[in-house]
Amino acid sequence: MGSNSANRKHLGLYAATTVLALLVSAVFSPGLVAQTDVRIGVQATGTMKSPLMLARFRGEGPVGSLPSQGRVIARKDFDLSGVFKVADVEPPDGKPAPDPSMAGTVRVEGTVQQGEGAAFFRFHGQAIDVGTGEVALDRTYPFNEGTLRDTMHRFVDDVLEALTGERGIAETKIAYVRQEGRVKEIWVMDYDGENQRQVTHDRSLALSPAWAPWGSELAFTTFKRGNPDLYLFDMTRGASYPFSTRPGLNTAPNYSPDGKWIACTLSRDGNAEIYLISRDAQTAKRLTRNTVIDTSPTFSPTGREIMFTSNRTGSPQVFVMDVEGMNQRLVTIEGSYNDSPQWSPKGDKICYAARHDGIFDVIVMDANGSNPIQITSNAGHNENPHWSADSRKIVFSSSREGKRQIFMMNADGSDVVRLTSDGECFNPAWGPRPKNKLAVKG
Amino acid sequence: MSLKPRFASVALIGLAVVLAIAPGCSSRKKVSSEAQIEPPPTESTPPAPPAEEKAPPPPTETSGERLGLEDAFFDFDDFSLRQDAKTALETDGKYLEKNNGAKVVIEGHCDERGSVEYNLALGEKRARAAKDYLVSYGIPAARLTTISYGKERPFDTGHDEGAWSKNRRAHVVPK
Repeated sequence: MGSNSANRKHLGLYAATTVLALLVSAVFSPGLVAQTDVRIGVQATGTMKSPLMLARFRGEGPVGSLPSQGRVIARKDFDLSGVFKVADVEPPDGKPAPDPSMAGTVRVEGTVQQGEGAAFFRFHGQAIDVGTGEVALDRTYPFNEGTLRDTMHRFVDDVLEALTGERGIAETKIAYVRQEGRVKEIWVMDYDGENQRQVTHDRSLALSPAWAPWGSELAFTTFKRGNPDLYLFDMTRGASYPFSTRPGLNTAPNYSPDGKWIACTLSRDGNAEIYLISRDAQTAKRLTRNTVIDTSPTFSPTGREIMFTSNRTGSPQVFVMDVEGMNQRLVTIEGSYNDSPQWSPKGDKICYAARHDGIFDVIVMDANGSNPIQITSNAGHNENPHWSADSRKIVFSSSREGKRQIFMMNADGSDVVRLTSDGECFNPAWGPRPKNKLAVKG
Repeated sequence: MSLKPRFASVALIGLAVVLAIAPGCSSRKKVSSEAQIEPPPTESTPPAPPAEEKAPPPPTETSGERLGLEDAFFDFDDFSLRQDAKTALETDGKYLEKNNGAKVVIEGHCDERGSVEYNLALGEKRARAAKDYLVSYGIPAARLTTISYGKERPFDTGHDEGAWSKNRRAHVVPK
């Protein structure tokens, strides 16, 4: 079987391209010149966080422990947002005067009130700029005990939107694979690790979940029919249905930003190639044509380009092409094994897993291939990185504590938090932000 | 993008179903206004799912060994056939010649290093390499099925080269 020599035939061309790319980057990116290692990312001390004073939540009427329960959830959300350094304070009596010495500090207050009936409540939340006294957010949320968690997540994301112009990810979910024994199933959890629930029950191998942009559907690969097939799981119906069951591989799904296409890997032509399949499954467009492995496609947020893994240079590297399959070019010019790229929702960065000295670590780089920064180190194997919807955080799988589990961290590698602990968990995919319209009272 | 009324009502019904069955929320009456989930942008309804088939049982790992079938082993990130791999496949070829009509499944496997997706593709390369060799040996392709399990069904769950080398294989089992 001569596939190895076929790879080597291409190596010369790509070696030349690599040399040229290095020369070009040496001219235009002085920081990258003559380095053989990527820079280690700043950890734990590098993130510039804004001070946020989170007041003890008050209760009015028979609201029991809902204020403190709610505050625990909100505090964790503010901590995990990656944006704030949170201090615990008492709520002020009355309305304090502006304090210009505290410019840039925000105070968040909340009161749980009784609602229109015994089981109903209202949460009145405010975010105030301490320096100017200006109220950045003042909003009331009706809720019941069952929706307290969702309501706190929504409030925190509203605060983030009011203060930064961009919602956070407190309302998002993460899909992942959980293995127990020989069985691997798709699970979904809240972004903070709460509410872990099993999605597939096929008692087979379910892998590589990917979120549809509207959030209620997952694409995934399953072996339940005896072949790696692509299925779609409709979360509103609680059932999956076949999407691509072609002979050979149907793997590595990734939705286009408009949800009309699913990029994936098919090997029906005898080799693992990148395809686009329309979401109604009627049209399949082949984008790569070669004898090498092409897999793990990831759309740019513009929907106009796709990055993917290819071993056409002899080992896996990250490539990019446009959505017609043209202009295929190498992105990762450092390191001998780079795989599993994910394009950030903001579009300016990608993350991927790099193998160096036998260890896998997560790298963040500019989407044009410059400034690779290693953001995990000395912590087992770190793989499957996936951006949060706001591009501030990355979820990934790590073997740092033994069996693979799901962790998340800020995009600079700081604030690593473990999310799973049961079974063995991997292949995380961070879901989109829901589009909500609130019943609000000013 | 405006919602067509049909899809808006489907989305709201879907949301009501989700709220009705969502775990941990017993008496659900959502007081705030509904979150608006965008429906799928395509016009067509998804095809009806087929009747759910029982998952086929995984092939017994020793079933091939009992018959004298041998596996081909590979180097890391490689699917080329070493001499020992060819010798093993020739043994399988002789078995298949002797047992006219017998069919086998060739499973491609990888060690745990590398991504799920890349290893599914690499495992398939290994399975196909073994199949092509058997075809060139003279076995009709119709008797040879391939499937890749990537790194998902390792034979040895250890984390060293001793385990990894056992997992990088084309595993031949009777069909």
